[in-house]
Amino acid sequence: MKKTIAALSVHIVVVIVLICCVGLLGGTSGGEGQEKFTGELERNVTLRILENDTAIKQGYLKELLDAFNEQYAQYGIRAVDANMDQYTDLANDGPYGYGPDVLYQANDALMKYVDNKHIMPLPVEQLDCYNSVDEQSWQAYTRQVDDQSYVFGVPVNIQGPLLYYRKDLLPDNWQQSWDDDGDGVCDIVQYWTDMYRYSKQLQQGNLLTDSGAKRFGYMRSFMEPYFSVGYLYSYGGYTFGDNNTNPRDIGHSKGDSAKGAWVMRQLASVMDKRCIDDTVTVTAYSALASGEYFATVTTPDVYTTFVTEMKNAGYSDEFIEENLVTADMPKLPVSGDLEDESQGFVESRMMGGIQGYAISSYTKYPNAALAFVDFATSYRLIMRRNQLLGIVPARTDVAAEVGGLSEIICNNLSQGNIVVMPSISEVAQIWTPLQTFFQDLAKDPFRPDDSMDFKYDTLDKIQQRLKEVDEQIYSAIFTLA
Amino acid sequence: MTAKLRQFFVKIGNGCRQWLAHIGDWFKALPARFAVRWHTFCDFLKNANGKVAASCLVMGLGQLLYHQWAKGLIFLAVQAAMVLFFVFVGAKGLVGLFTLGTVEGNAWYGIEGDNSVIMLLLGILSVIALVLYAVVYTANIRDVYRTQSAYDCLKTPPTFRKELSSLLDRNFYKVALALPILGVCVFCVLPIIFMILIAFTNYGGTVVPPRLIDWVGLDNFGKILTLSDFAPTFFRIFGWNILWAVMSTFINYFAGLGLALLLNRKCVKGKVFWRLFPILAYAVPGFITLIGFKFMFSYGGPINYYITQSGGSAVGFLDIDAKWSSRLIGLGVNAWLCIPSSMLLATGILSNLNTDLYEAARVDGAGNWKQFTKITLPYVLFATMPVLISQFIGNFNNFGIFYFLRGGLYLDGYFLASDTDLLINWLYNMSIDNNYYSIGAAISIVIFIVTSVISLTVYVLSPSYRQEDTYQ
Repeated sequence: MKKTIAALSVHIVVVIVLICCVGLLGGTSGGEGQEKFTGELERNVTLRILENDTAIKQGYLKELLDAFNEQYAQYGIRAVDANMDQYTDLANDGPYGYGPDVLYQANDALMKYVDNKHIMPLPVEQLDCYNSVDEQSWQAYTRQVDDQSYVFGVPVNIQGPLLYYRKDLLPDNWQQSWDDDGDGVCDIVQYWTDMYRYSKQLQQGNLLTDSGAKRFGYMRSFMEPYFSVGYLYSYGGYTFGDNNTNPRDIGHSKGDSAKGAWVMRQLASVMDKRCIDDTVTVTAYSALASGEYFATVTTPDVYTTFVTEMKNAGYSDEFIEENLVTADMPKLPVSGDLEDESQGFVESRMMGGIQGYAISSYTKYPNAALAFVDFATSYRLIMRRNQLLGIVPARTDVAAEVGGLSEIICNNLSQGNIVVMPSISEVAQIWTPLQTFFQDLAKDPFRPDDSMDFKYDTLDKIQQRLKEVDEQIYSAIFTLA
Repeated sequence: MTAKLRQFFVKIGNGCRQWLAHIGDWFKALPARFAVRWHTFCDFLKNANGKVAASCLVMGLGQLLYHQWAKGLIFLAVQAAMVLFFVFVGAKGLVGLFTLGTVEGNAWYGIEGDNSVIMLLLGILSVIALVLYAVVYTANIRDVYRTQSAYDCLKTPPTFRKELSSLLDRNFYKVALALPILGVCVFCVLPIIFMILIAFTNYGGTVVPPRLIDWVGLDNFGKILTLSDFAPTFFRIFGWNILWAVMSTFINYFAGLGLALLLNRKCVKGKVFWRLFPILAYAVPGFITLIGFKFMFSYGGPINYYITQSGGSAVGFLDIDAKWSSRLIGLGVNAWLCIPSSMLLATGILSNLNTDLYEAARVDGAGNWKQFTKITLPYVLFATMPVLISQFIGNFNNFGIFYFLRGGLYLDGYFLASDTDLLINWLYNMSIDNNYYSIGAAISIVIFIVTSVISLTVYVLSPSYRQEDTYQ
């Protein structure tokens, strides 16, 4: 009996001791960190490059990779398409060795990786593009980590909303009736007050297109915060304080932002109920082509979609080139009332984004990856990117050379009229509360149709609701944090 | 009516009492069972010889001393494999289960650090391995003790070949079940335990690897119940969730049954043709149907097109103010998706129903309604109760309906949710959209408890459980 008990006990004790000793002694060691950007290129390596789908489809990525591979063949460095989803999540893939070495994504998507150091701070001053990129663009990729400021991405492409309109649908007598400032450009596309007045005229005139559809002036879904929040920004609102870096200071209700919401409410009243949900977003291209809508607002990269729809509607290339016009966002009245121009106008400030390159912290070839980024953001390649993809370059030298829209958007960014999406992870919490509010606001002019009272018929009520939206965002960020 | 209600609650009470009595009996028998086991163990300690003790010390040693070479080597090999597993993975995993990591990673400097999530998974895996080790170790002692007993009784213990052949005969169930049990442990038990344990950590928000996760006890459950933003939302959504699950299960089940009965009638011509329509609705992938319905009820959709063309004003069927119309549309769309399967199920069951019962009922003067309530319904309910319960659970956790029809709204009085969201949608909003994994896991546990209690209660009260032999 004693022998058996002793053997059993010894076995159990050995198992426990083994587990404790090996378990406690076999822990991970901290290790010493090392600087990764030594300037010495790694040789005979393959870089995986994640680009966006448009660049792949339009053949830009292939051109870029071929050019890079040719130039760096002497070092044995080869760049290949990472062949991953363009929205791939580095936080999930990178630590296990599956992520790309270089990523091209929007600033909000890239900068969320900074929280857990999934992308590396870059020695951007070594890059060719450093002095050619505007300070605002660099700001979108700059973050304080451990009390030190770092830059984590290299800006390539500026995204910002533009007004698209059909020149042939302007009133016949616009030179006489709609050009008060006498600058030779129709006021309808320069001032929201005139756009509102023109839209109202079309609405009240009950005008129809050739196919019998009702005609509208301005039409755009208010559901998407990316396009709607700019009205609040234009009157002093902001998303996060301290230049969009302080999530404890949420400011959609700050300044006179309620005036911006009032403008939206007025614009909704000259559209129809389709501005409440997103059904007009997908039909905007064909509706503009068919003449149902006179104008809408969207990003520059969908210009070709409008062209395709107009071609499908039977218009010639010459007609489209002349009559499909993209313009800067119209100015807003200082009064916040689209029927009152007496106090003058303010520039529209809209939300924008900056797409760029970042380098994964999990890359084994940081110096080669940096060389790729340097190459891809050089003057020649950014110019080529603009020619092939129609992007608005973040490089001011390319923008100045290209002129037109690129220059307008670049200027808007440097003048602060494009507010770059916050680059902190808390930005994820703003979209749904804002989307809910904008839907609610867009519905307000139509509430009497459903035998309901107006919810936002005074600025005070809007102001109160905006405060609640800010509180909602705050609690979404901090309640469970 | 009152009497019927009272009868209903008495029935529930009796059912629960019976069920609890079963559980009580099991617990009552526990001391006796334990006493028998203890007695056997004491006998073992008293009678075991040195060879058995050798196997207690090192697995397989006793068998080797009895010249059972193959068996002894197998046990020895298992012991060696287990030692290697614990040296390289298991021991670290078990310790990691408590610490969840001590070194934080820093990808900038190539410091890998500890990944708390992986450590948690490895920890659970190591516990499972430890349990398996204990099972094999016990089997090893039992085996050698059986051999000793055989020799003590002057019998020859079965040869290794004989024992192997018994695995294909008398003990075949062990062979057949070994692999599935292992699969269930790895692919089912492990993720469930992982999810349950996540509910007791602070995993989520900014605390995701490479940051280290910590155990927080019952904090997450406390948050659900006490946070001023959180608790009201939970109870509001929970109330609507129960109503939704009951209503949708009722509608889908009885509408399916009604359709099956209708198409089963002799007077219906072209039954195959009529049955084709619901099957077509069933064949279209659910999410495509949902997107289609969302478009149909949107402001730019065909329904509003015809309303405006006929001079009316577009209706916001699913918009921000449309709480009850959205809920009703949700019930309708869910019925569209689920009635066909209920109809097919009921059609199959009805085809087995003895028509003589109806003949006899008619002779006794029973009308159609009486025949339905006394013959058809009890029979169909008896056969489909488990399916009905699974439909209830499916509806309780029906993620797609309101995600596709009315997602992307956070309404007043709700924290990260809208008035049509179910608990599963809220869970998604928090765990996927907002990264609050631990809170999501805590809500999952609450959902699991609620659905289990309701399902078990309904099942225990159902004829399928109480009168299992009735139709056999």
